[in-house]
Order: sequence, then structure tokens, then C-alpha cells
Amino acid sequence: MSDALIQIETPFAFNEENQREFDGLIGRYPVKEAAMLPTLHLAQRQAGYITPAVMKYVAEQLEVSVMKVKDVVTFYPMFFEEPVGEYVIRICHTLPCALRDCKGVLEHLKAKLATDVASETNLAKGTTADGKFTLMKVECLASCDVAPVIMVNDDLYKNLTPEKVDELLAKLAS
Amino acid sequence: MVQERRILYEHLDVPDINTFDVFRQYDGYTRFEKAIAEYQPDDVAKMVMDSGLKGRGGAGFSTGLKWSFVPKDIKPCYLCCNADESEPGTFSNRYVLEKNPHLLIEGILICCYAMGIETTYVYIRGEFTLGKKMLDAAIKEAYEKGYLGKDIRGTGLNVDIYSHPGAGAYICGEETGLIESLEGKRGQPRNKPPFPAVEGVFGKPTVVQNVETLCNLPFIIGNGVEWYTQMGPTYADTRANPPTPDPNTGTKLYCISGDVNEPGVYELDLGLTCSELIEVAGGLRGEEVKAVIPGGSSAPILTHYELDTRLDFTSLTLAKSMLGSGGIIVMNETRNIVDCLLNIMKFYAHESCGQCTPCRWGTPWVRDIVQRIADGNGRKDTMTRPKFGVAENGRWGDTGETEEIYEDLDLLESVANNIANVDTMTWNTICVFGIAVSWPAVSYMRKFRPEFEATIQEGKLVTLPVAEATVSPEENYAYQQRFVPKEFADL
Ligand SMILES: Cc1cc2nc3c(=O)[nH]c(=O)nc-3n(C[C@H](O)[C@H](O)[C@H](O)COP(=O)(O)O)c2cc1C
Ligand code: SF4
Ligand code: FES
Repeated sequence: MSDALIQIETPFAFNEENQREFDGLIGRYPVKEAAMLPTLHLAQRQAGYITPAVMKYVAEQLEVSVMKVKDVVTFYPMFFEEPVGEYVIRICHTLPCALRDCKGVLEHLKAKLATDVASETNLAKGTTADGKFTLMKVECLASCDVAPVIMVNDDLYKNLTPEKVDELLAKLAS
Repeated sequence: MVQERRILYEHLDVPDINTFDVFRQYDGYTRFEKAIAEYQPDDVAKMVMDSGLKGRGGAGFSTGLKWSFVPKDIKPCYLCCNADESEPGTFSNRYVLEKNPHLLIEGILICCYAMGIETTYVYIRGEFTLGKKMLDAAIKEAYEKGYLGKDIRGTGLNVDIYSHPGAGAYICGEETGLIESLEGKRGQPRNKPPFPAVEGVFGKPTVVQNVETLCNLPFIIGNGVEWYTQMGPTYADTRANPPTPDPNTGTKLYCISGDVNEPGVYELDLGLTCSELIEVAGGLRGEEVKAVIPGGSSAPILTHYELDTRLDFTSLTLAKSMLGSGGIIVMNETRNIVDCLLNIMKFYAHESCGQCTPCRWGTPWVRDIVQRIADGNGRKDTMTRPKFGVAENGRWGDTGETEEIYEDLDLLESVANNIANVDTMTWNTICVFGIAVSWPAVSYMRKFRPEFEATIQEGKLVTLPVAEATVSPEENYAYQQRFVPKEFADL
């Protein structure tokens, strides 16, 4: 894809701290391209989601084509190409959690947040009107012993019940 | 009752065991020191071979044997530690990373010493933010204390460990998918051969090893092979002449979830039975066991008739299932097997990497068939045909009766078997994800066929009582053995 085809809204560059971290990353691998996933994580943390400008920037840093970056971004569910809420709520719905009524927790979350569940191609569908929360279903989070579980950004919440969800949401909203 | 034997998990709950100093108080790094002081690298590799250690990540392949395939003359050689842990029902690696990361580092050091490896990547699934944080902190500390980096403890040994985050794709747990992902690409598995041991990451020989496998190494070195092989059963493989020993040695971090009172990780000697494990995990939650998944969602299901099956690599293979990742999921009498299969098929349809046509299209197709059945729209023919089942001679054959044709069940089996054939164990795909799809699909349907039939018949999800929902062990056995010539049937 030539650069002309990419609409670039706001240019992107690492801030100082992330630049330092990136410089540390790149030395770990014999080829720069291998730093792709950690670099994209870093960029997403800074930009909120992977914009075309981010992809272009990452491609330049890693000396690969923009298409290659896009290729990777579309493959991995943890990279977002659309804006998401301040809190991303990932609810596990695989079998062990399903056996512990994750459905009830999901329905409760949907009702409380007054939103649907995001799909991979439509994150807005699961994002609350105020842009505070994005609700999405994910596969097993390797915590089936404390099912049902959700992750809110980087934190795991265990043995959930509708009451615990209420407490949690109240805490996050304040 | 079977007692837990905590070895890998012994100090897991010691406060601050994640710090170097506390880890050190509990013999931390002494096993590594013993390895470099007392043994040559080849001796260490031989000890691992003799210990009978089998990979704990899924395939159950002998670790020592895997190491022996690595060419000695091609450098650099890499170690990839597989901490992608995404097989549904598995959660033992997480606790090691979060609570006792130095143990993993020690295991890595021993492997690196034995194999002459200088660079290790720990591929951690993206959702393990806490685990990655703890491991990174431990790595940093190990560098500061001189257990990582250049010229470790004045021995001339150089080892670097880097953690590498994944980004939410299950298939990156497959070893070649992991390697592709580590190289900064889509995590799409590679054709084998060449195997990673010969040509892996960055085109170099690569050892891929699960977290739990590596955590076994300090104890094999520290306590010796003889001590290690006392744990767990060693069978004789009678297919070879003379019979060769088939070790299932060591402990396993069994992860048990679902309908038990105390789900969690239990470290036990390999080889206890399914019902014993349920007992250890606080007993069943409910009245009756309906089904047990013995090795992560990819493993064929076991019925209540099969609860005496020993949970080790060999016994489960003989029972036409697998120990896999050691994730045991228990289902009680209230569960509907059609519904459970639907859940699992949704998982696989979502996680197929999309490279191979049979897997890319077949997996969603299987999911759609199960969805249709669960929705009450399962298709049934108006015609009948001769009923196959346990024939007079006790083998699979014409029973002389007729049966109704459940079109969707035939289709389900046919589509699944065309992704990967569970009878011949051949697959039309690049990686064994294909088997991981067709194994549950065919085994759930075959072993709980009455429940599938009833659901189609009634046009809504029907949960039958356990005894009625399950096919008899005789029929199950005859079905599994139907392509096996009679003289080999019991081997
Ligand atoms: C679809 C698929 C997913 C896998 N996921 C994992 C995983 O999450 N963690 C893991 O350790 N091994 C996983 N494996 C097994 C690896 O391919 C490989 O066999 C293992 O990491 C080798 O290490 P070991 O010999 O120490 O078990 C998976 C295999 C397949 C086919
Ligand atoms: S079998 Fe499925 S997951 Fe494996 S490589 Fe093929 S498409 Fe990908
Ligand atoms: S199924 Fe939800 S954490 Fe494993």
C-alpha cells in the first residue's frame, strides 16, 4: 500500500519514555521486525488504538512495509483499530466459565452498562455512550479455577457475581 | 485418599518467593549451580532423557529426545519458553509466572547450559500482564545478581532471557505459530518438517518448551534421576520387541475446573484416576459425573464409564484421549453435552488461523451444525437404514436392526473427519489444531449420541439423565476399534 492511500489524521511518534523502552526492545532480536508485537503494544498504550498513523510509524521504526504491520494488527484480537472506552472489560465465555454462569454476569454487565457486546470488527457496538467502557467477549483467560472471570484493562476479577459486578462498576465510575 | 505431592508448587505460597533473596533461602539457583559444578552439558541432557520427562504443554513428547534432535554444530540455538497458556481449562503456568518466576529462570538456565543456548525468549500470552511484570522483575534481579548475562558466576556461560508478549491469539501456543509470532508475523503455524529443533526461530535450531516442563529441570538435577523416576508409573510398551519402558514420571500440575467443589491446581504424581482427582478437588458439585474433559478442550471427552482411566500420557492415549495440557473440566448431570460442544466449537471457529481451507471453513461449519442442532433445527431424514453397532461377534457391524437417519449428525462427523480424521489420525491441515477440532466434535457426538438425537427429535435442547445420555462402553469400544483388524484389536 502506498502512503498516499493511507489517510493520516494525527501523526504519531513515541513519547520519550516509550522511545526509551522501544530502544531497549529492538536490541533483543537479530531482526528488527521481531519487535513487532511489543512495539505495537507500546504504541497502543500511548495512542489508545492502532491508527493508520501508528501503523506507518511502527513500519518505519521496524523497517518493514505498512502492509506487514496491518497484516499483524488484523490477526491479533488484542490490537484495536477503532477507539475503545477508557476501561476495556473482557469477559471470558469459554466452557469452564460457562459452567459457572458467565452468561448471567454478561447479561448483568450488558444491562448495567446499557450496551451490547463488541465484535472484533465493530468495537463501537460494545462501547458505552460516554466512551467510558467497552465490553467484549474473550476466550479462556487461564483462570478457570476462579471462574467466572473478567479483565478490566490489565486487572483480573475473579469469582464474579452480579453483586460483585455492581461493586466493581461503582468503583470504576467514581 | 491420594495425597498431593508439591514439588514445583512447594514454595508457591511463601511470601515474597518472587524475590531473589527469598527464593535463594529455599535452595533457589543451587540446582543450577550444582549442574554447572558437577555435570558436563551432555550429562545434564542425559539426566533429562533418563528421567523420562515428557513435555507438559500438550503433545507429551519426551523432552530428552527433543533435545537430542538439535544439531550441535549450528549456532546460535534458541530456547523459546511457551507461556502462551490458552488451552481452555489450563491455568498452572499463570501461577508460576505470577508467584515463583525465579523457578522458571532456573529451569531455563539449566536447559541453556545443557544445550549451549545463549538466548531465550519467554512467549507470554498478552493477557498475562501481571505474570509478565513479575517475570520481568525477576529477570532484572537475576541479571543484577549475576545469574543472567555474560560470564555467569565466572563460568564463561552467557545467557540472556527476554519476555515477549503475545496478543490474544490461541494458535500462537502451537510451537511453529509461536515462532512465527515471535518473528513479528501473523501466528500462522508452519509446515513440519523442518521441525523447530532443526530450523526454528530466525532459521536457527530452536527448543520450544512449556513453562511446567522447564520448572521440572531444577528438581531432576537437584534430587537426581532415581528420585524423579520413582514418581508416577512406568509402563512397558509392548509394541516393541523386547518391550521398551514407557515412563510417565514426575508430578503433574493438574488444573481442575467446572463442577467440582474446590477447583484449582493440584500437584500430584502422574497416574491417578479421574475419580481420585475429583475426590482431591473437593468432590463433585452435583449428584453424578456426566462427562470429564481430561486434557484441555482439545481432548476427546470421557464418560462416567471411564472415570477409572488413569490421568497419565499413556493411559489416556490408550483410552483414545490425551492428557494434553492437564486441564480437567468436569461436568455434572445437569449439563447438556450439545451445549458444551457448541461452546467449544465457537472457541475453535474463532481461533482458527485461517491458513488451511479444511480448518478455515470446516471449523465454522461444524460450529454451525452444532448451533443448528442446539437451536432445535437439527435435520433428520425420513428414511431408515441398517443400524450399525455392536454386532453378534462383539465388533462394530450390522446389528440386524434399522435406525433413523440423523442427517446433521452424519454431516457433523463427516465434516470434522475431513478436517482431521480421528480414526486414522491423519489431518488435512498444516497443524494439529485440526485434530483439536475434530476430536471433541466426534467424541462428544459419538459418546453422547442419545442426547444429540433427542435434541434433534424434540426440536429443543434436551438434557437426558446421565445413564440414558451415554452410549455403552461396549458400543464405544467397538466403534473406536472398527477399522482395527481383529487380531490387533486389543493392542
Ligand atoms: C493448537 C495448539 C495450541 C497449543 N497451545 C499451547 C499452549 O498454550 N502452551 C503450551 O505450552 N503448549 C501449547 N501447545 C503445544 C506446543 O505446540 C508444544 O508442543 C509445546 O509447547 C512443547 O513444549 P513441551 O514439550 O514442553 O510440552 C499447543 C499446540 C497446539 C497444536
Ligand atoms: S490447521 Fe487451522 S490453525 Fe492450524 S495452520 Fe491450518 S488453519 Fe491454521
Ligand atoms: S474458561 Fe474462563 S478463564 Fe478459562
